[in-house]
Amino acid sequence: MIEVKNVKKKYGRKQVLNGLSFTAKKGEITCLIGINGVGKTTIMKAIMALTPINSGEILIDGEKIRKESYDKITFIPDTITMLPQMKIAEAFAFMADFYKSWNPQRAEELLKFFKLDPTERIANLSKGNTAKVNMLLGLALDVDYLLMDEPFSGIDIFSREQIAEVFTSHLIEDRGVIITTHEINDIEHLIDRAVLIDEGEVLKDFSVEEVRENEGKSVVDVMREVYRR
Amino acid sequence: MNVKFNNRDPLYVQVIRHFKEQIAKGYFEPGQEIPSRRELANQLKINPNTAQRAYKEMEEQGLIFTEGNMPSCITKDDAVLKSVREELIIEAVDLFLGSIKSINVPLSEVLELVEKKYDAESGEAEESK
Amino acid sequence: MKSYLKLVHFEISRFFKLYLILIGLTVVSQLIGAVIVSKGYMSSAEKVMYANQLSVSKYIEQSAFSFSRFINSEWFVMPIVFCIAMLMIYVFFIWYRDWFGKNTFIYRLLMLPTERINIYFAKLTTIMLLVLGLITLQILLVPIEMQIVNGIVPADFRTNFPFYGIYDQEIWGFLYPNTPVGFILLYGIGLIFVAILFTSILFERSFGLKGIFCGIVYGMFSFGVLVAPLILAVSYTGYFYPLEIYLMELVTSIIVLGSAIWIANHLLKHKIRV
Repeated sequence: MIEVKNVKKKYGRKQVLNGLSFTAKKGEITCLIGINGVGKTTIMKAIMALTPINSGEILIDGEKIRKESYDKITFIPDTITMLPQMKIAEAFAFMADFYKSWNPQRAEELLKFFKLDPTERIANLSKGNTAKVNMLLGLALDVDYLLMDEPFSGIDIFSREQIAEVFTSHLIEDRGVIITTHEINDIEHLIDRAVLIDEGEVLKDFSVEEVRENEGKSVVDVMREVYRR
Repeated sequence: MNVKFNNRDPLYVQVIRHFKEQIAKGYFEPGQEIPSRRELANQLKINPNTAQRAYKEMEEQGLIFTEGNMPSCITKDDAVLKSVREELIIEAVDLFLGSIKSINVPLSEVLELVEKKYDAESGEAEESK
Repeated sequence: MKSYLKLVHFEISRFFKLYLILIGLTVVSQLIGAVIVSKGYMSSAEKVMYANQLSVSKYIEQSAFSFSRFINSEWFVMPIVFCIAMLMIYVFFIWYRDWFGKNTFIYRLLMLPTERINIYFAKLTTIMLLVLGLITLQILLVPIEMQIVNGIVPADFRTNFPFYGIYDQEIWGFLYPNTPVGFILLYGIGLIFVAILFTSILFERSFGLKGIFCGIVYGMFSFGVLVAPLILAVSYTGYFYPLEIYLMELVTSIIVLGSAIWIANHLLKHKIRV
């Protein structure tokens, strides 16, 4: 379980996170929803200790993040985190070199699934394929938790569909996933929980099936209620 | 399988309904193996936990059964299968009656129209074959 | 330790193409320079001798050829200055390249399952290895250049210039202290300077504009501590034994280097942002 507890963070004078709390469980897909600039990416960076927080606490399976944690949790930012001059195969070698949790079979499987050519240089890939490689580098790690920042934004519809397919496959199964989006439509049926965020605070945190069952509302319905207030 | 789900009803309920329709249509035969929950999630592009929930409910309703570690199968119980069909028919009729009643049409007129339309559509279907 | 070595290898391979260019430039410039300088000397010698009807022995009384003529030429000096400049720029670039550019590689580096200070050590090691590599190259080049010069300028025109004579040359004497202690001192101080710069860069990377200020203050303070013993030595001439100064310098060096690493570790662990 990833626990984000009352996290506050300032960038200069701007309060980016304002006592934000939520939890994300293993085996569930938790979606952080909010318009751009409400602190979704900052939360992910804070979880990964890529940016300091002013107060609060973040725990991963009850522990603060340590170097060993990076074999247990990974972050897929919205840009690729490999050098552009590297070939895909070289990026794989880099990952295999440093991560115990790198799973080469899975990487190969994903390569086939996404129809990527390992001899291609990252700099030469199309936008959609870059996003896929970026995704792949995270998915091929045998980690318990995956954080993905806007995996669907800015890529063509077919790449989107392929990436969406990943969410319903064994590649995600039993892992804890946190994803951010400002566009819920594509993935409404894929997620377990939705966490609505605005101005660095959680406005509502709910199970999407429960809300559909008990209130007959879609995620968008809830968003409308919450954000109109 | 390409199913259009709406966003307001619980997904698992919609999945069960989808299964019932398939059974009523005869697409699923009694005792037929069904996809694993992961396969189903992948086919329908839904969350695997939702697929799991749907299977659990269907198992409780006796629509499907699982023996040991085997894949789940459609029930062979005729009574259940029949009731699925009836349930769907009754549901459709209820829906139909609801909309008919709201515009105050006498039953005889409606039935006549229904028969006429139904025949015409069946005929068209025959021709197009 | 294993990840540290892998990171060093990785950092070096990232710079390697540019490094080869630097090496190539040095080799080409110095070898061509050796030819041009000695040929130039010979042709001017012949001209002067012919015009003034001088014998060889008379001519070399005024202007014999010394190897230092080549060493002080721009052919020899420019590539060295260029290499030094490039490496100084790379001291900054080795960090900033990970943040800027389309693919922010720093995410990956900071998410490696290893102590983050290893990134710092790896980059520090890389800079030192690159420097030492160029130093070695130069040692290897000089005898070759001597051969070239000796092949073009006949022995009669040359003053005797043994290989060790090169230590008397200004630039060479600076880059190659002729005692092991001097060598360690020079490159040790160099290492400390790079470490201080790295830590200042991390201040900037952690705190932005405020960080630039912190970095400068920190850098100046560290520099002050580092040179304090030398200032003491100068202002109280004769008060301390050289060994005492040396020991004080050693202690302050260790303190400054240690604190640079400690601060860098703290910043990388708790303050850095991407």
